[in-house]
Amino acid sequence: MRGSIRAIAIIALTIGVAITPFVMTDRYILRILTFVGINLIMVAGLSLLFGYAGQISLGQAAFYGLGAYTSGYLAKAGVPWLLALVGGVAVAAIGGLLIALPSLRLKGHYLAMATLGFGEIMLFFFTETESVTGGSNGLRGIPAASIGPLEFATPVAKYFLVWSVVAIVLVLAANIVRRRPGRALRAIHGSETGAQACGIDTVRVKIQVFVLSAGLGGLAGVLYAHYVGFVSPSTFTLHYSLILVTMVALGGMGSLGGAVAGTVLLTLLPYVDAIIPGLPRSTVELIQDWTNDIYGMVLILVMLFMPRGLAGWATSLVGRLGGRDRAGGSVHQGGGA
Amino acid sequence: METSELLQLAIAGLKNGSIYALLALGFTIVYAATNVINFAQGEFYMLGGMFAVYAFTQFELPLLVSVPLAVLVVAGIGMLFETLAIRPRKDAEPMALIIITVGGSLVFASLARHAFGSDALPLPEFTAGPSFLFAGAAIERQTVWIWGIVLVTVAGLTFLYSKTRLGRAMRACMQNREAARLMGIDTARVVMISFGLAAALGAVAGVAVTPLTSTRFDIGAGIAVKGFAAAILGGLGSPLAAVAGGLLLGLIEQAVIPFSSALKDVVALGVLLAVLFLRPQGLFRRARREKM
Repeated sequence: MRGSIRAIAIIALTIGVAITPFVMTDRYILRILTFVGINLIMVAGLSLLFGYAGQISLGQAAFYGLGAYTSGYLAKAGVPWLLALVGGVAVAAIGGLLIALPSLRLKGHYLAMATLGFGEIMLFFFTETESVTGGSNGLRGIPAASIGPLEFATPVAKYFLVWSVVAIVLVLAANIVRRRPGRALRAIHGSETGAQACGIDTVRVKIQVFVLSAGLGGLAGVLYAHYVGFVSPSTFTLHYSLILVTMVALGGMGSLGGAVAGTVLLTLLPYVDAIIPGLPRSTVELIQDWTNDIYGMVLILVMLFMPRGLAGWATSLVGRLGGRDRAGGSVHQGGGA
Repeated sequence: METSELLQLAIAGLKNGSIYALLALGFTIVYAATNVINFAQGEFYMLGGMFAVYAFTQFELPLLVSVPLAVLVVAGIGMLFETLAIRPRKDAEPMALIIITVGGSLVFASLARHAFGSDALPLPEFTAGPSFLFAGAAIERQTVWIWGIVLVTVAGLTFLYSKTRLGRAMRACMQNREAARLMGIDTARVVMISFGLAAALGAVAGVAVTPLTSTRFDIGAGIAVKGFAAAILGGLGSPLAAVAGGLLLGLIEQAVIPFSSALKDVVALGVLLAVLFLRPQGLFRRARREKM
């Protein structure tokens, strides 16, 4: 029953994403939905690292920035887009490796502070290394993505480019969490000593998931840079890293589907006017003015009253509909994909 | 470089370091009571300055009243935050509590923007007048206030910990919360008071520094990182180590300035990572085998 509901939901969502540009011709909506896609790639990485393996990162924005700046810089220097993309992902992944190696023996708030510090240091370098990054003025005139003669210049083309990558990333991530590596991640979340006792090479798995999540952050950054055509330090702040953590927490730790739902909801929140057209201007402005309060309250309230997030809530709902109570499952196993 | 310039840098270092010390004390006290790092600690610093400015400009209260009033209000907010958001999940895994305090930090900063606006707000110096001159270096009057406040605070904390019943209860909780509870100590009350005390220390730092730097709704996160770097330098253990960590961090920051003034803001982050990666137990404690 749960499997079939999930399959139907995935097919419906895929069709919805595919036909949206033909139904909604409004460029504003397409732009917002493209940003939803970019955030989904970020969150897929963070979900594996934080949601599954339990390794908190308050510095994901740094990988986003590393990908965006590297690829933007390379593309402006005349490097073909695909190569610039590889460069951006590689630099972000190396950044992830550099922070992963010394962080291996840190956990909890020590890891949170280390990743936060790393993010702030990278932000400092994005701002200060003006010859490469353009400093606080940013890097302008980044060309649109292109593969050979195929150029992704129009909003619809960019939309499909981003969402194709989202599809690939989510399928990849779903495969990881459902198979052996995913079980290893959850085991590390539960107890590192226990995972070691089960023969899991925890050091190796932790480095792998750190690098993977950093690489995905870099990938999202590359797409962002060539979508907007302009990057500046104000995009890669601690605030963005915290919003990503909020998305994973709202969705539910250890659930990819939950993280997707949390990302869509929280990304759309400041743009409710695009989703619900009839909303009065004053209401929209009120929501936009209080967006950060809402993000913060979501973090607190979810942790207090819904520690398994949207995924846990959905699981127990489906369980009740199916006449079975699955709400008792533990956090680390809850949710599925 | 001349001695007077060096002295000037040292004075600035000890001034900033005193502020970091107060924040580090806040981190240390909450950590001792709960094993939680309060990511909202910087917001108490911001709120302290904000409430003092508000009482001073809106109610036109004298500084002598506005400042303690602001500290008291923020202490209350700290205890309220603990009661509403931390206590219900006090036995949860540390990750949940980290996330709650991160959420609190977002909410406090954002509410402050609604209440006080997004402009930088100034406060006059506690006592107006020219700077003192000492061996060719100038010491602002407010800097002397800051040093005085830190001295009084440390003396007060030492007294609290060594001579009072509450202080003994706090020390007992530091060593072993469960055992303290079995000895009849009201640990819930100790935790709440610890949060209030940490919030008050943050507010004191914020109020003391606002005449020099002014305050804004979004300064909390930046100063929290520095305060935490100071706390971790001191090893998150004894209050005196936290103060030493703060002063040391302030001096290290100033020591970089002759080489590159742009680097000053990133030094604390470098120190933070270096300590976390190389010596997570801090400078003053012996290594433990367990994971941090």
